[in-house]
Amino acid sequence: MAATPPAPTTGPGTWKSRLLSHEMLLFYVLIALWLFFYFAGTTVNRRGVTVGFGTLDRQFDILRHSCEIGLLALALTPIIITAGIDLSVGSLLGLCAILFGQLWHDGGLPIPVAAGLTLVIGALAGGLNAILITALRIPPLIVTLGTYSLFRGLAEALTRGSITYTDFPASFLYLGQERWLGLPTQAWILFAVAIVVGVLVHRTTFGRAFRTIGFSPEGARYAGIPVARRLALAYVLAGSIAALAAIIYTARLGQAKADAGTGYELFAITAVVLGGTSIFGGKGSVIGTLLGVAAIAVLKNGLACLPVVMRMNAAEEMSGLLTGALLLFALSVGGMPQLWSGFRPRASATSPLLPPP
Amino acid sequence: MSPAPLLELRQLVKNYGGVRALRGVDFDLRAGEVHALLGENGAGKSTLIKVVTGAHAPNGGTITLAGQTVSGLTPATARALGIACIYQQPALFPDLTVAENLALRLNVPSPAARMRWSDCRARATRLLARIGAEISPDAEVRSLSMPEQQLVEIACALGSGARIVIMDEPTASLTQKEQHLLFGVVRDLRKNGVGVIYISHRLEEIFALADRVTVLRDGQSVGTHPVAGIDEAGLIRLMVGREVAPIYPAAESAPGAVVLSLNQLGCRSSGVSNVSFDVRAGEIFGLGGLVGAGRTELARILFGLTPADSGTITLGGQPLTLRTPQAAVAHGIAYVPEDRRRHGVVLDLPIAHNLTMAIHRRLFPTTWLRFGAERALTLDYIRDLAVKCSGPEARGGSLSGGNQQKVSLARWLATKPKLLILDEPTQGVDVGAKSEIHKIVRRLAKEGLAVILISSDLPEVIGLSDRIGVMGGGTLRAILPGGSDPHVVMAAALGTTA
Repeated sequence: MAATPPAPTTGPGTWKSRLLSHEMLLFYVLIALWLFFYFAGTTVNRRGVTVGFGTLDRQFDILRHSCEIGLLALALTPIIITAGIDLSVGSLLGLCAILFGQLWHDGGLPIPVAAGLTLVIGALAGGLNAILITALRIPPLIVTLGTYSLFRGLAEALTRGSITYTDFPASFLYLGQERWLGLPTQAWILFAVAIVVGVLVHRTTFGRAFRTIGFSPEGARYAGIPVARRLALAYVLAGSIAALAAIIYTARLGQAKADAGTGYELFAITAVVLGGTSIFGGKGSVIGTLLGVAAIAVLKNGLACLPVVMRMNAAEEMSGLLTGALLLFALSVGGMPQLWSGFRPRASATSPLLPPP
Repeated sequence: MSPAPLLELRQLVKNYGGVRALRGVDFDLRAGEVHALLGENGAGKSTLIKVVTGAHAPNGGTITLAGQTVSGLTPATARALGIACIYQQPALFPDLTVAENLALRLNVPSPAARMRWSDCRARATRLLARIGAEISPDAEVRSLSMPEQQLVEIACALGSGARIVIMDEPTASLTQKEQHLLFGVVRDLRKNGVGVIYISHRLEEIFALADRVTVLRDGQSVGTHPVAGIDEAGLIRLMVGREVAPIYPAAESAPGAVVLSLNQLGCRSSGVSNVSFDVRAGEIFGLGGLVGAGRTELARILFGLTPADSGTITLGGQPLTLRTPQAAVAHGIAYVPEDRRRHGVVLDLPIAHNLTMAIHRRLFPTTWLRFGAERALTLDYIRDLAVKCSGPEARGGSLSGGNQQKVSLARWLATKPKLLILDEPTQGVDVGAKSEIHKIVRRLAKEGLAVILISSDLPEVIGLSDRIGVMGGGTLRAILPGGSDPHVVMAAALGTTA
C-alpha cells in the first residue's frame, strides 16, 4: 500500500527489493505453512469423510477465530508505529463485553444502541490511556500495564466474578456464528477495519505523523506536528476497536463474560511484530499485520490437525512454542544484514572529506 | 620558580576525522598558580580538557607531568596522576548522598574491604568544611542545587589530593555569594601549591583570579601572558585575531515594515529576561554571543517550545501568545533548529516526508496524501536549493550535513513564513555549502522575509547581518550595525567595553 512514485532503477522501490521485503517473505512463509498443513494435516476418517486442515469448514473456522485478535492487532499497529504500546486492549475487550451485556440485559437497551454505547466506552477508555500518556508523560508501557489490570479488575468487579450474560437474540448471533456472502460475518468487519486502518496509516497525514513520531518525537515536535493529539488519536482508536472486538467476541460465543480476551494483547503484539512493524517505531504496515495474524492462526490451527500432535494432545503447547520460534526467527532474519556487515572489514568510520558526525 | 611545571603541553594536536580541533597547542601550568584559558566557541578549549583528562587521545605532541612525559593517558590514570576536572555539569550520582559520592571516588576499590561509613562521613564533613560549604554529608545529591553540586566536586578534587584542578566555567550558574565562596576556594588551592586551569568567558573573573592567561584561537595557542601585563582590549584582540573577509553577499535593498517586535520578553524557566528588539521585512537580524548567552532559548520562546512568561511578542502588528510550535507555525514563524540531526531532519524518513512535514494542512487539505504533489514540490526545492541527493526518496540520514541543513531550511521555506529563525545554520557544514547557505539567506531577505540569524561564528554574524543583537546572560546586551568591528562585538558579548 506504500507510495508508488516512478520507480528508480536502484534502491528501495525496485521489484527485486519488493519481492524480498519483510511482508513478501512473511507471505512466502505463510504459503509454505499452509501447504504443509494442507498435506500433513488433512485426513480421511473411517466413514470416508475428509477432516482436518484441508476442509473449507476448517478454513472458515480459522478465519472466524482470528477476527478478535486480528482487530486488536490492527488497533495496535498505529500505536506501535508511534513507538508506543497498548497492553490494555485485551482487558478492555473483557470490560467492554461485560458492559455491552449489562447495557442490553440489565439496561434493556436494543442491541444496536448498546453496541454503539460500547464503542463510545471503548473510545473513552482509550482516551484515559491517551491522557495519562500525553498529559502526564508516563511511558505507554507503564500506563497500559496499569489500565490492563484496571479494566480487567473493573470487569470482574461488575460481575462479581460469576455473572455471564447469555441468551442473546439470534439476529445478533448471526454476526458471530453465521456466514454472510459466503464468509463468516465478522470477517467482513475485520476487512473493513483493516481498510480503514490501512488508509489511515498509509494514505493520510495522520499516518505520516505516526511514523514521524515513531522515528523522532522531538523531531516531530520541532516540525510543528501536534504530537499529543496524534498520539491520543491512536489510543482512542485502539479503544474503540477493542470495543468492536468485544461485541464480535460476544456474538461468536453467545455470552459476555469478564475473562473475555484474556492474553489476547500478547497474541496481537506478536502478530504486529511478526508483520514487520518495528517495536522501536516508525516502520510498519497494515498488510504485514494481517499476514502476521494469518501466520499465527494457520500455525495454531494447523498444528491441532497434525495426527502426531493430536496423539500427544499437545496442540496448545506446540503452537505456543512454534509461534515463539517463528517470531524470533523473523526478527533475527531482519537483523541478519547488520550481523553480516559486522564480519566485513569496515571502511574507516570517518571520512576526511566529511564533517564529523 | 620550580624547575619543572606541573603540566606542560607541547605542540598538542587532535583531529576528529578531517577536522583539526587542536593544531599545535603549547601550554604550561606551574604549581601554585591559576592559569586562565580563554577562547571563542570552538577555539579548542573543550578538546584540550578532554585530552588532558585522558578522555581523548591526542594525535600528536607531548604531555609532560612534573617533568615526566606521559602517554596513553586514560581518565583513570589521569585521576591517579592527580588531575581533577570540575565540569559545568557535575557528574555525581544523584541518588547517593554526598558522603557516598565522595567515598565512591576517593576510596581505593578493594573487593574484600569493609566500608567504614562513619569514616566516610567524617571525611566528607572535613572536606566540605575546608571549602566553607554548608552542605550536609547525608544530603542526597539530587536535592542539591547545581552550585552546591559543584562544591561537592571541588571537595572531591581536594580529597583526592589532586595537583592539577581544571575548572570549566565554574561560575556559569553561581550567584554572587557562591562566586565569592568559590574564589576563596580557588585561592586556597593555589596557596596549597595546586595548579588550577580556569576556563571562563567572564573577563573580570580572569583579572580577579588568574595569574596568567592563555588564549586559544582556531585550535592554536596564540599567546600566554601574565594577567598583570595585559588588558581586556588586548585579550579580545588575541581572541578575535582575524579580519572579516568580505565574502558575504551584501544587502541590496533597504528593510521594509517591522515584522517582529519584542518588548521586555522573558521566560524564567529558560533564563531569558528583558529582551526588546524589532526585526523588519527584508532584514537579517543577527544574534551574536557566546554559548549559554540565551540565544537558542530566545528562539525556543519565539517558536512556542518554551512559552514566555513576561513581555510581549508582536508579529505583523498583532500581539501573540505562543504556547505550542503549531501556534508559531500557524502565525508564520519558522525555526531551523541548531541540532539538525535530532530536531531539524528526521534521519529515517525520506527527503520528501521531511520537506512537507510542516505543511500537511496546506498541501494535503483533506488529510489525504497526494504523492504526486509532494514529489513535485520536493523536486522544486531540491533544484532551487541545489540539494545533492539521489532523489526525493533518499533518506535524510544519507545526506551530508550541509544538504541536511538545506532540507531543514526547505521544510520551513515551504511554509511561506513571515519570520525565519536560523539557529547556527552553518555549524558543522563544509565551506562550499556554507557559502551557498549564506547566499540563500541573503536572497530570502531580499524577497522580503524577516530573518533572525543566530550564529556563534563571529565573521558570519558580522558579515551577513544587517544589524547584530549581542546577547549575554539571557538578555540583549547591545544592538550593533552589521559589519561592526569584531572586537566591539566580542566585547559586548563578554559584557565589557573594548
